[in-house]
Amino acid sequence: MLQRKHRGIEEGRAYWAMVLPAFLIYVLVMAFPIILSVVLSLSNYDGGKMFGGDAWGFAGLKSYAQVFSDPLFWNALKNNVYIVLISVFGQLPLGFIFAYIIYRKLVKWPGFWQGVLYIPNILSVIVVGLLWQTIFSPNGPIAEFMNTIARAGFQSKLETLFSGAGGFNITDDLVRKMLNLAGPAASQWFTDPVPELKELILSYQGSPHALLINDLCNLFVQKWSPEFLSKPDIAMLPVLFVILWMYTGMYLILFLANMQKIDTQIIEAARIDGATEWQVMRFIIVPALSGTIVNSAILAISGSLSSFALIFAMTGGGPSRVTEILSIYMYNNAFLGRPNLPLANAISLIMVLVSFALIGATKALEKRYGGKEE
Amino acid sequence: MNEEHTTTAMGRFAAVMAKAAAYIMMIVFTIMTLYPIFWLLMNSFKSTREFQMSQLSLPAAPTLANYVEAWKMGDFGLLFPNSILYTAGATIGIVFVSLLAGFAFAKIRSRATTPLYNGFIIGLLVTTQSLMIPLFLEVNLLGIYNTRVAVLLVYIGAGLPLGVYLATEYIKSIPNALIESARIDGAGFFAIFARIVVPMSIPVAVTLSILNITSIWNEFALINILVSRTELKSLPLGIYKFSGSLSTDYGKQFAALTIGMVPMLLFYVIFRKQITRGVAAGAVKG
Repeated sequence: MLQRKHRGIEEGRAYWAMVLPAFLIYVLVMAFPIILSVVLSLSNYDGGKMFGGDAWGFAGLKSYAQVFSDPLFWNALKNNVYIVLISVFGQLPLGFIFAYIIYRKLVKWPGFWQGVLYIPNILSVIVVGLLWQTIFSPNGPIAEFMNTIARAGFQSKLETLFSGAGGFNITDDLVRKMLNLAGPAASQWFTDPVPELKELILSYQGSPHALLINDLCNLFVQKWSPEFLSKPDIAMLPVLFVILWMYTGMYLILFLANMQKIDTQIIEAARIDGATEWQVMRFIIVPALSGTIVNSAILAISGSLSSFALIFAMTGGGPSRVTEILSIYMYNNAFLGRPNLPLANAISLIMVLVSFALIGATKALEKRYGGKEE
Repeated sequence: MNEEHTTTAMGRFAAVMAKAAAYIMMIVFTIMTLYPIFWLLMNSFKSTREFQMSQLSLPAAPTLANYVEAWKMGDFGLLFPNSILYTAGATIGIVFVSLLAGFAFAKIRSRATTPLYNGFIIGLLVTTQSLMIPLFLEVNLLGIYNTRVAVLLVYIGAGLPLGVYLATEYIKSIPNALIESARIDGAGFFAIFARIVVPMSIPVAVTLSILNITSIWNEFALINILVSRTELKSLPLGIYKFSGSLSTDYGKQFAALTIGMVPMLLFYVIFRKQITRGVAAGAVKG
């Protein structure tokens, strides 16, 4: 009896000694910040010393009213929703298709494709954000590639015109055709295009043909400087593209890992009974993965709410704050210009509640409509 | 007979088409994945002038000057050791603390387990990034802003919900008989933890390490609000310096991005199997 009691005490001590480190750190990093954000979001705290400094006190729901009446908040929330949507309707289906292709051995070297498509996931979001910022920049590789093609096309058409003219036989007709080729770009250089261009071309007599062609290209081929990231109405599209580029591989891995758990005998039996590839997918694989699909949707939601650095690096939330997501909107309210800490804390709490609500809703949907698994 | 022949021919045709489509899709996406990375690597060896003249061709006069300058400007000599310290320290912390708590939750009976364990599970739903403002204020309140302790604490705390969850579920599968017979032999709980639980939990420890190493090494949002002194910064913060005013100095920016990219690529090449398995096992949210 005494020994049992002694053992009980030892057990209790060991239990708490083992649980406390985790519990204390957890309280410090998760629970306390949540409580702090509740308190501060209801206050008029404006920075400075939290204790013993200027007095600060209860301000009611003022900050929440301010958040909900701020169009920038709704814009940020909308962008978070876009990220969830591109995940659910972009990354998930793509990841599923890749996983299916590999699982059903439609391609050789399964490990290679899987290995390559997952690479973007392990890169730092800062690296990815800055890399794509450069790629999408007005004089980045996309612009250069398109410009190179446009120039090559114009050059070959010019060559055809010249070779049709048989050497250096410059007629008004040839010049006119050239001007047609150049389109409106020509009119900005000349007041009276035909004679002026003819004179210009004739001045090249004696110099190498390639030089003339090169200079004509420089004159007439307009450089395209795309403004993917600086036009407010489209700036979110490249961001969503990069998110798709970066995370599709993760869903591939998730789907593939769970497909490999399916009993292959079921599939073989179905094939022997004459089921088509499509039927195998529709009636065996998709139902078996319903749990994974829900899980992936939840990951997409929490991924959207936790993303920060990719957009921070790629657009900084700009141009004119259109690509802000909630986390960046919160950050900017806390650190940019005149900090509004109650507001930032209100946003923080709203984000926590939104993630609870969305994930809860997804789980409820699963209970209602899912449940084919297990 | 004849009809059957045509259906199999058509079936074969469809199968070939499906294969072709599968290959095309795989190849297109592989190029889309690899080309930007290759493009970055290639241009990191060009001078900014050569880059501006042609960014789609291989470097005509490859140079390492960008790397030398980027390394100096980004203070990577300071940031690299910091990144290693934060990643290793926080990962070891998460694994150790999670296993301890997981053992208690899974194998020692207590009325506290249900509420505490559920508390950690709820944490799976909270993204630590959404707490960065209150965390920033808390760290200032505690006087640990601009310290390594703050970074390590926050990283360990952020990793605990998943760590405790995976550790507890894993340790539950260790047979009770093993632990009970050790108890009868007079072993204390910490001895059992060290001699039985830890050795048997290596697989879950590997999964946790893999997941945390990749996420902590690349982490930016939290450390960005925890430290401002260069001596305490990690690699992602250093790389971010190359945006903004330095972003037109392409050569150096590309070198900095490559410096940031290579360690993780190497890690991935070496531990690809474990990473893939870990991601599949760790994709739990609530």
